[in-house]
Amino acid sequence: MILYIDTTSNYLYSAIVSNNKIISQVKEQLDSDLSVYAVPKIADMFDKNDIAKDDITKIIVVNGPGSFTGIRIGVTIAKVYAWTLKIDITTITSLEAMALSSKSNTTYKVPMIDARRGYVFAGIFDKDNEQIFKSKYIKLDDLKDIVKDLNDSYSWISNNDIDVSNLEAYDPDILKICNKYQDKETLNPHLVKPEYMKLTEAEENLKEAKHD
Amino acid sequence: MKDIYILGIESSCDETSCSIVKNGCENLATVISSQIDIHASFGGVVPEIASREHVKNITFVLEECLTKANMKMSEITAIAITYGPGLIGSLLIGLEAAKTLSFIYNKPLIPVHHIAGHIYANNLNNKLKFPLIALVASGGHTELVYMKEDYSFEKLGGTLDDAIGECYDKVARVVGIPYPGGPSIDKLALVGKATYKLPIPLNDNSYNFSFSGLKSAVINLAHNEKQRGRDLIKEDLAASFQTVVVDTISKKTMKALKDYNVDNLIIAGGVAANKLLREKLATLCTENGVNFTFPEMKYCTDNGAMIAAAGYFAYKKGRIADLNLNSKSNDKLN
Repeated sequence: MILYIDTTSNYLYSAIVSNNKIISQVKEQLDSDLSVYAVPKIADMFDKNDIAKDDITKIIVVNGPGSFTGIRIGVTIAKVYAWTLKIDITTITSLEAMALSSKSNTTYKVPMIDARRGYVFAGIFDKDNEQIFKSKYIKLDDLKDIVKDLNDSYSWISNNDIDVSNLEAYDPDILKICNKYQDKETLNPHLVKPEYMKLTEAEENLKEAKHD
Repeated sequence: MKDIYILGIESSCDETSCSIVKNGCENLATVISSQIDIHASFGGVVPEIASREHVKNITFVLEECLTKANMKMSEITAIAITYGPGLIGSLLIGLEAAKTLSFIYNKPLIPVHHIAGHIYANNLNNKLKFPLIALVASGGHTELVYMKEDYSFEKLGGTLDDAIGECYDKVARVVGIPYPGGPSIDKLALVGKATYKLPIPLNDNSYNFSFSGLKSAVINLAHNEKQRGRDLIKEDLAASFQTVVVDTISKKTMKALKDYNVDNLIIAGGVAANKLLREKLATLCTENGVNFTFPEMKYCTDNGAMIAAAGYFAYKKGRIADLNLNSKSNDKLN
């Protein structure tokens, strides 16, 4: 039985999956209340379906990029859960989850998360969901140029309001994600950490100062 | 009576800590992962870095604590968590960890105010005697609190601007002493003389403090000395600064004891480790027949044991939260 947790945006996406079926799921926009409701809403899925906490055999947690605070909420819940009950845990990035959930039939898929000030976190994936452009923090205009140079069909995916044409709204296909990643290598829960894809401002300033 | 074991989790600033305390007074195990070296290169705590470190450390700290106490989660009675005040991103890591454990093991979740924790750090050494006045002084807080009985708090006054610990850090930076400023200035002051004239902050009849003026005075003084081509005598400046700070805090603390007719004083928080402050208050308390106690050095800075100790008394008063508990960067002690 798999527990899926994604709090990297302003949504809580969580599900319990068993035998290729979603037993229970939450897809809810919680914004700044994510820290309040993430645990109780996950708890509800267990209570309503009479599932014991140790029935879970695998945790798949989305570890970023996205909202720094949001990422940490999900990663903390997941790693504490996995550590204390000795449950297998694995991570996937939010961009992988987005690409995999896309319903577009284009050659390329470009999942994006708004990183403000004209920047996004983004990656480029092919039809088989193989990453062909390493996910990173990038200027939207630069990303647009790269995508244009692909000379093939592509689709943008995001649940943020980003200035591109034909944006596919992200709706996670949790069953598909779980099926693909359930056999992914298990990590030591202590070492599960967020994938911010960006240094903190203080670290960037320090780096710059050293550079000068 | 059945023994009560509280697991306390603290992550309000730059220390990830977890402890198990028996019956509110016996520390069975404490683990603290400090980030002080990481923040030192930035001259102070960087909130986003602190949050990032907490999420890396949290399960290591929990595991080491349980191993040290030789206990299993199932043997814990309840989980106490610092819900605030503090850095919101940091607080949230402890909170989500505590909520997850509470959910998995079906254990009561006890929200603890950080200041209540500092006060109850004293209970780990000497049982609190009531009524009492608590002087809480740390990097984030400077407060006088009146307690009629266990887990009853009446804030008499606090800082109107900077916390005293913050002021120490700033002054340390100005005179070029390493972060954190408190211990460094305390040490330097021991070999200096209070020769520099500094203003006495908020010298009034209230229980409030104000340290921003004093901070500016030190900055101006350093600047003026430099312009006049004179070397700043760091030891003397440290001694001058400390004398003013300790005199101000002691005066208001003694006033509170007198006004409320209380003869028990406790000090708590990182600044409670300050040698001069302890000595001055000890002398004044002896002269005035006040019973003065302070926590061991290791309980002065942020730790899970103080949260677990406070959590025990909160638990006894039925202060239990559900899984909807949230962190608060600011909240009144009550």
